[in-house]
Amino acid sequence: MSAAVPGFAKILLSGVLPIVAPALLLGLVHGAAWGWAAAALGWLLIVLMQTRRLTVLAAWLDAPDRAGRVPDAGGAWGEVFTRLSRRLHHDARRVEEIEAELQSFREAMDAVPDGLVILDASHQIQWSNRAAGEHLSIRLPRDDGAIIEQLVRLPGFADYLGNPDGQAPFILRSKAARSRVYAIRAVPLGKHKQLLVSLDVTDAHRVEAMRSTFVANVSHELRTPLTVVSGFLEHFTDGGAMSAEQRLYFARIMSDQTRRMLSLVDDLLTLSRLEAEDAPASEEEVEMGPLLAQLLSEAQSLSEGRHGIQVFCHGPALRGNRKELHSAFGNLVSNAIRYTPAGGEIRIEWGTRDRLGVFSVHDSGVGIPAEHLPRLTERFYRVDRGRSRDTGGTGLGLAIVKHILLRHQAALLIESRVGEGSTFRAEFPAWRLPPLA
Amino acid sequence: MSSHLSKQFDLELEGVRTRVLQMGGLVERQLMAAIDAFNTGNIEAMQEVVRTDAEVDAYEVGIDEDCTLLIARRQPAACDLRLVMAISRIVTDLERSGDKAAKIANKSRKLHRVSGQRIPRLSDLHHCGSLVAAMLQGALDSLARMDVDAARQVIRADKEIDAAFNSILRQLVTYMMEDPRTISEALDIIWIAKAIERVGDHATNIAENVIYTVSGIDVRHTGSAARKAEKA
Repeated sequence: MSAAVPGFAKILLSGVLPIVAPALLLGLVHGAAWGWAAAALGWLLIVLMQTRRLTVLAAWLDAPDRAGRVPDAGGAWGEVFTRLSRRLHHDARRVEEIEAELQSFREAMDAVPDGLVILDASHQIQWSNRAAGEHLSIRLPRDDGAIIEQLVRLPGFADYLGNPDGQAPFILRSKAARSRVYAIRAVPLGKHKQLLVSLDVTDAHRVEAMRSTFVANVSHELRTPLTVVSGFLEHFTDGGAMSAEQRLYFARIMSDQTRRMLSLVDDLLTLSRLEAEDAPASEEEVEMGPLLAQLLSEAQSLSEGRHGIQVFCHGPALRGNRKELHSAFGNLVSNAIRYTPAGGEIRIEWGTRDRLGVFSVHDSGVGIPAEHLPRLTERFYRVDRGRSRDTGGTGLGLAIVKHILLRHQAALLIESRVGEGSTFRAEFPAWRLPPLA
Repeated sequence: MSSHLSKQFDLELEGVRTRVLQMGGLVERQLMAAIDAFNTGNIEAMQEVVRTDAEVDAYEVGIDEDCTLLIARRQPAACDLRLVMAISRIVTDLERSGDKAAKIANKSRKLHRVSGQRIPRLSDLHHCGSLVAAMLQGALDSLARMDVDAARQVIRADKEIDAAFNSILRQLVTYMMEDPRTISEALDIIWIAKAIERVGDHATNIAENVIYTVSGIDVRHTGSAARKAEKA
């Protein structure tokens, strides 16, 4: 109130004194009637002036000057105008600040990779971020105020929303992109509101699916030979009449099947060992000449003279784990032999190209249709199910090759034409080769 | 939608709309499950589709009663009345679509039980199925958002379905002419294709009802000429 007293005094001095003083003077000189008349005229003038200033104030409040200029009004009014204008400016700045904050907050929310939707008590959408638009196809402002169950109509979602306490998140398989999977969780927000959080869990689901198909595949691969063996064993123990020839035939089949199981388990162990460690245990300079000679002799014993096999070695030594490289190259060579009909040609080659170390196996075999190429290194992926098992594959060979090559920072390139043959090429980085002398 | 003096009325109306859309969601899933099952031969999924049909029927009965009660108690007018009328018609379309999904599942089960397929699973059928699923989704989305443009798009898409259906028919006729042993299998596939095509018609009906609710214009049984005049 202390500020009001000088203000009041100012009003007295500037507003009242100029009228009262002349009126008093006139009254003293010319008589009371003149004095009253002057006073009345003065008051009238003041009232008129105040009314005019009030109009100016009203107009200024409706449309404040952008540049912050205050209408010229002397005396006490001027003070009022200045203060009002200061207050207005201050408020405008606050609003701007808050808007800027809100904007940056919105941008931050839009950058969040999880979908966020705020629902009111009747499940109407109040706000959502950009990711929610992708996950649940909710778009603001179009869907502002829409009831979420009307837009997300998947059976079970409404029930989940009605009673989300302590439940596992709702799993939504998106229809727009049917391969995407989202986990939706409803969190209470304040007293009546709810916050929906949607998370893209497609990858996790894919991994889970891969794991279960892997287990199913392994079980299946082991089961088939086991069924054969157990069937024959039953036949043996039943004591059915059997010629020595039949007995030998059965025994051979059983030993084939057992070998198949063994090689499958071996491959599985190799794969799991390769996966467990990131890098080979030990690396050395592997002389490629002897390694290729070894591959050749193994190939010849597997081929039993049915193929023409050639080996070319015109590259330097390769830095890596000898055992693993042997396993990877051996797998590529044995694949070539198994998928090339008798009389075909197989060429094993080691050399350099563009300073890369290139190991390649070329065959004139059956070839692989292009659509299978990208999935060839998946475990148990088979182009032709019946055929590859007949030839004794485990379905894990190329998966092992891929893993070993990855550990050696090498790339596996496959070129193939149906009926003409395939080329499997492993390219090793330059630093794995000895520096050029 | 517009707000009323009576908040309760709004809630009831929105409640019915939500239930219709929930029913629609169920039918959407049924349809997709049936088409997927036809492709993959998953017998369990087919049985599941047939089983869930009872749920769809229960929805229809419940929503119909809600509509009757709403009219009796609230005596809606103008666009509210149109909405209630449209909903009671949409429910019927949805229920029929659900039946069609069950039919697809049933026929696929029969097809897969018979050993030895003579006709390969036509990719056109799958394409047609996903088109119809998208149409149904579009129709329901247009109902949820009361979006006339989206509804018009659904109605236009029906032409594509008809074309796809005709192409499937032609292919099957070729198979039947080449080898009369394929006839019984081809007939079953025709039933399935027809069911899919019918769902497209039901989706169109739903979209027409949405247009009716929003604009009060009945676009049923009007040719493209009339529709053009209305647009102008």
